[in-house]
Amino acid sequence: MSFADIAALTIHDVKNRLAHLAGLAEGRGDTETLRTALEASEALTHLLAFYKSENGILNLVVNDHSPSDLLVELANDTKGLRAILVDVDHGQAPTLWFYDEVLVRMVLSNAVQNAFRYARERIVISAIEQDECLEFSVHDDGAGYPDSVLVDSGASAAVTRDGTGLGLRLAKRIAEMHKNQDRCGDTRLYNDNGAVFKLILPK
Amino acid sequence: MSAQTPYSDKRLLIIDDLPDMRSSLRTQISSLAIEKVGMAGTIKEALEQLKTHKYDIILCDYYLAGGTDGQQFLDYLRTKNLIARATLFIMITAETGYESVVTAAECLPDDYLLKPFTAESLRTRFERLLEKKARLAKVDRLQDQGAWLEVTIACDEIIAAKDKYLVDAMRIKGNALVMSAQFAAAIEFYQKCIALRPMPWAQLGLAKALRGSGDVEKSKSVLNEIVSSSPKFLAAYDLLGRIHIDEGKDKEALSILDSASRVSPNSLTRQRSIAVVAEASGDHARVEQAMTIVLKNTKNSPLREATDHAKLINALTELGDTTRAIALITEAKTSFKEVGDIALLSAAEAVTQQKAGHPELAKQALERALQSGVGKLPQSTAFASAKACLANGRQDDAMAILKDVIQDDPDSSTVQGRIADLMKDHGGAEKAQELMTSSAKEIIQLNNNAVGKAKAGEYATASKMLAEAAARLPNNMQIVSNAAFSLLVDVFMNGMDAAKVREALTLQQAVLKKDGHHPKLVDIANILAKIKQKYSLTDNP
Repeated sequence: MSFADIAALTIHDVKNRLAHLAGLAEGRGDTETLRTALEASEALTHLLAFYKSENGILNLVVNDHSPSDLLVELANDTKGLRAILVDVDHGQAPTLWFYDEVLVRMVLSNAVQNAFRYARERIVISAIEQDECLEFSVHDDGAGYPDSVLVDSGASAAVTRDGTGLGLRLAKRIAEMHKNQDRCGDTRLYNDNGAVFKLILPK
Repeated sequence: MSAQTPYSDKRLLIIDDLPDMRSSLRTQISSLAIEKVGMAGTIKEALEQLKTHKYDIILCDYYLAGGTDGQQFLDYLRTKNLIARATLFIMITAETGYESVVTAAECLPDDYLLKPFTAESLRTRFERLLEKKARLAKVDRLQDQGAWLEVTIACDEIIAAKDKYLVDAMRIKGNALVMSAQFAAAIEFYQKCIALRPMPWAQLGLAKALRGSGDVEKSKSVLNEIVSSSPKFLAAYDLLGRIHIDEGKDKEALSILDSASRVSPNSLTRQRSIAVVAEASGDHARVEQAMTIVLKNTKNSPLREATDHAKLINALTELGDTTRAIALITEAKTSFKEVGDIALLSAAEAVTQQKAGHPELAKQALERALQSGVGKLPQSTAFASAKACLANGRQDDAMAILKDVIQDDPDSSTVQGRIADLMKDHGGAEKAQELMTSSAKEIIQLNNNAVGKAKAGEYATASKMLAEAAARLPNNMQIVSNAAFSLLVDVFMNGMDAAKVREALTLQQAVLKKDGHHPKLVDIANILAKIKQKYSLTDNP
């Protein structure tokens, strides 16, 4: 058995334990422990996805999905766990789009986690069709990204202790895996009264 | 007290081998005000639960103890029709890698959840899925009834609404066009879908429609395109394999099924199809390999099947390993107690014991095989019994069994090939040909007799003769289609008879399912239209 196999099995086991822990915490209304267990588990999901993308075995399964549904789900996932509100703006979202929902959910959920760290009062998540592409945005009202991160949409951002760099790199890879005809997806980071993370997916 | 939710009245089943996970899921579910909750730690318990209650939602962990995984279990439930189209099946998994398993799977779950998740996330997901089921409820019901024309109309309504179920409706409509043999319309429709976006399901639909319209070469080229552009889309491999089998190209069929099983090594269904093709082409080593995998995966599981055991016993016997074959027979005898299973296993045993040099045991096994064979034998059991009769010197019994098989499935090259193979050491090609000719003659005679009766105005007698024959030979499309037609003629001439019309429609569906471009289907459709007109029916009778 290789180290990678053992690591994969261990991650699986740890995730089961975290799921159990999350269940116990939720059962007794312990929000802080629940949130920590969910975040720890999400970090492991990222690690595994990153490993797979490094080895070319991260598969994309593109199907038709409703961007609005995904946004509502992301906002609901944080309900009761955080003091800061997540507002959903899906008024201009297209009814349907084609993407890998699991991977896109993972990317956006990570962007929302990051936003929580810097937001002062609120986070807005939205989806809009722009130039034949779907643009998901996560917008917080914090201090914005430092210049070092803005350089290339975080693709070469250092992996910090909180895993920010890893999340951004993975986001870019997953965006780029979404291709249709000659176009492929991308991520964009900029500041506009706070930090804006964009995930752009071609039609 | 929990608040009422739109799903409080739903019945939900939790399947997870870890007691901790079951109890935390249970807590989450009760916070959603769902009170009717069943719990199962094993597949066996889950099957018992499903027997006693009708569940609306099934939450199943992908990893289950005991060798069988959640996906294999779902395949089993769907292929055995143990859960309704309306039942939500949600797979729970610990990793993102599951989606590649899912695409490669035979049957897709309605959704899957990455654990851990909160009760709130579960609620959002339930609402979304139940909303979809509600939107598609009418279409689902019509699909269950096989009312394909109505399905396309109901889908058109959803397509026109352009809501988020647009693509779901397109997928179902395309399938309905193929199922109702409207191949030209289906080809046009799928080409439009593909122009929108080259979705693998639309490409597969196009391949099916092309095959149905008789353009097999084009169908194959579309399938090959899917295999190279979406290598995880296994349904394309399966159809390609089936086309190769129809063309008598066992080698090509095996090779395509092999590549499919490399993509999805845990699919029991696929290993089983490999064994069927390998057995037909006499590749017993390959049968042994495939069936060993299946038996290992279903050991001590309710998903185990006597046919798998019989196949392995036969392969081992052919390979000369009668010791292992006999050990397997002993083991299988303790697991399978149903009459049909005993017949099949005894037939396999009769051959093995004869080859192992135990003629007395072989004779006893053959007696068991033949005496318990009440009613119509499935094809695999019939072949096994015929083989056992031949091995034990009872040629006449073998011929009688084989005649039924040929008459039931007269155009199958697989059947003809297997019979030729069986008779190799018992009269050879000449005897096999003689058997096929005399069997075919009987069918022609039966048809002629019925036509004679109809010509003499005895429509009821004719339809009765053919309907009885159709019940005996449900796979003989000539008989089945003629039976449907003559029942309808009988109704048209002698007056409305709802039972006869229903029987005719069931037979018509059977023909559509097996051979969508059977020439008799046009006659059946015409006489149905006349009946509707004569008895002023607005809907299907």
